[in-house]
Amino acid sequence: MTTATLPYRVTPARVLRSEWHKLWTLRSTWITLAVTSLLTAAMGAGLGAAYDGSGEGGMDPVMFALLGTQFATINLGVLGILATAGEYSTGQIRATMTAVPRRLPVLWSKAAVLAAVVLPLTLATNLLTFPLAQSFLTGTDLSASLGDPGVLRALAGNAAGLTLLAVLALGIGALLRSFPMAIGAFIGLVMVLPEILAMLPYAFVDDAVRSFPGKALEALTTAQPQPGAASPGASLLAMLLWTTAVLAVAAVVLRRKDV
Amino acid sequence: MLTAHELTKRYGDRTVVTDLSFSVRPGTVTGFLGPNGAGKSTTMRMLLGLDAPTRGHATVGGRSYAAHPAPLTEVGALLEARSVHPGRTAFHHLRALAHTHGIPRARVDHVLGLTGLTDVAHRRVKGFSLGMGQRLGIAAALLGDPATLILDEPVNGLDPEGVLWIRNLLKSLAAEGRTVLVSSHLMSETALTADHLVIIGRGRLLADTTVTDFVRDSGAATTKVVTPDATALAGHLAAPGVDITTDTPGTLHIRGTDARHVGRTAAAHGIPLYELTPGVASLEEAFMDLTRDALEYPATLEGAAA
Repeated sequence: MTTATLPYRVTPARVLRSEWHKLWTLRSTWITLAVTSLLTAAMGAGLGAAYDGSGEGGMDPVMFALLGTQFATINLGVLGILATAGEYSTGQIRATMTAVPRRLPVLWSKAAVLAAVVLPLTLATNLLTFPLAQSFLTGTDLSASLGDPGVLRALAGNAAGLTLLAVLALGIGALLRSFPMAIGAFIGLVMVLPEILAMLPYAFVDDAVRSFPGKALEALTTAQPQPGAASPGASLLAMLLWTTAVLAVAAVVLRRKDV
Repeated sequence: MLTAHELTKRYGDRTVVTDLSFSVRPGTVTGFLGPNGAGKSTTMRMLLGLDAPTRGHATVGGRSYAAHPAPLTEVGALLEARSVHPGRTAFHHLRALAHTHGIPRARVDHVLGLTGLTDVAHRRVKGFSLGMGQRLGIAAALLGDPATLILDEPVNGLDPEGVLWIRNLLKSLAAEGRTVLVSSHLMSETALTADHLVIIGRGRLLADTTVTDFVRDSGAATTKVVTPDATALAGHLAAPGVDITTDTPGTLHIRGTDARHVGRTAAAHGIPLYELTPGVASLEEAFMDLTRDALEYPATLEGAAA
């Protein structure tokens, strides 16, 4: 028996283990993750099969194959928000914070666990979806292989971007403590706001919009840099900053506000 | 040992708890009483660090709850509001809490057995009755084998068998030397288990006493006296805070003073007494008497008085 009875005490590793356990013991986790992968792959295959080769050109092969990650963005956002806001709506947060009254280890653990699950899953899904879509595209202008320049980077970049978006959503959920409010804020920030801002006739707004998480994810998902888009490195950095900033604000609020 | 030092909690311009100080000692069950809305749950949340006091502080064994390296072994808490994700099974709920402290699986199984939940351990909490939910809350409170228990209205929603089980559980926990604080808005229920009482109304301390002293000192005891000269005796006894009623001619029911004083007054004025019976107040009466002025939503009896 290796159950050496260490004295009971809260450690970061134990909080991490607790959050890991919590994530996998909810059906919503399994469903959300399965739907995310299946939808992405099905969309890639479907679009590939439907493509008649008469595109206007300029479409990026990775972006094309991963168009289904639009749904993944929302799905993974829901998963992130459920991890935090879901605890407030059910009352679970009171049990959680009574066990870990220092509070912050819970937020870090939730973020780490979510990232550790979403990154490998989206990466595997992308690596599967791209060849799947390509199997229908041989001979078209979208034909590409995993070895082509930028393809692997774009597939991995998309996975990293989706992971950061999921953690961003988790931070928004911790901040707003309500599922409907958090999902509204998340979709607003990632999908709606950049489109509205882009309509404004100011050059500096265009620059700012490129740094919005949704736009940065698009830039990360292209094998060939698109005209007017930020570089993959800058895009990843922008997403990292967004996620870090939201998590930091969530941490401050978590420390100060009553549970 | 659980201590509140001048705890004050304000939400906006509403003060829910004001300068509340009390201690809860080990080895006894302390009843935490007050009408609904008196601030009991808020106080318990402050003891657990879930709500930060506007002023004052609370300690568990000399330190704030959050400062303990293994909080679940210090305090086990059952809060009034449900604190469980309904989509998880009872077992996994407890297992996740246990992981934070490195508490082994055997302990999870043990508290499930202790609270009679073994058979439903792998059912999702969504389908639990109020009583089963309450048992799960108590299982979570016992998980860390804590030195102190804070239970907010634990008998809520329990069937008579469950109520009896809670009473015996609380007594045995206190007998093991633990500190037990149990809130309730029912004095009669509390009197069956508690030795000590902390009573609050509108967020202020009204009494910090033992059950025995509380009853004895309470002004709610009614003395019954039978005399041929009731009117004269009533006149001599009349004083502020003394309440005299009569149902049959020659019989007085006197509240606000004791039998000894009634007897002396009668003797001093040469009034014969046929009967003098000191009454013992019921706990519920004494409690209502104390908290009457502190009720948040007093019921009006105008309609019933006719």
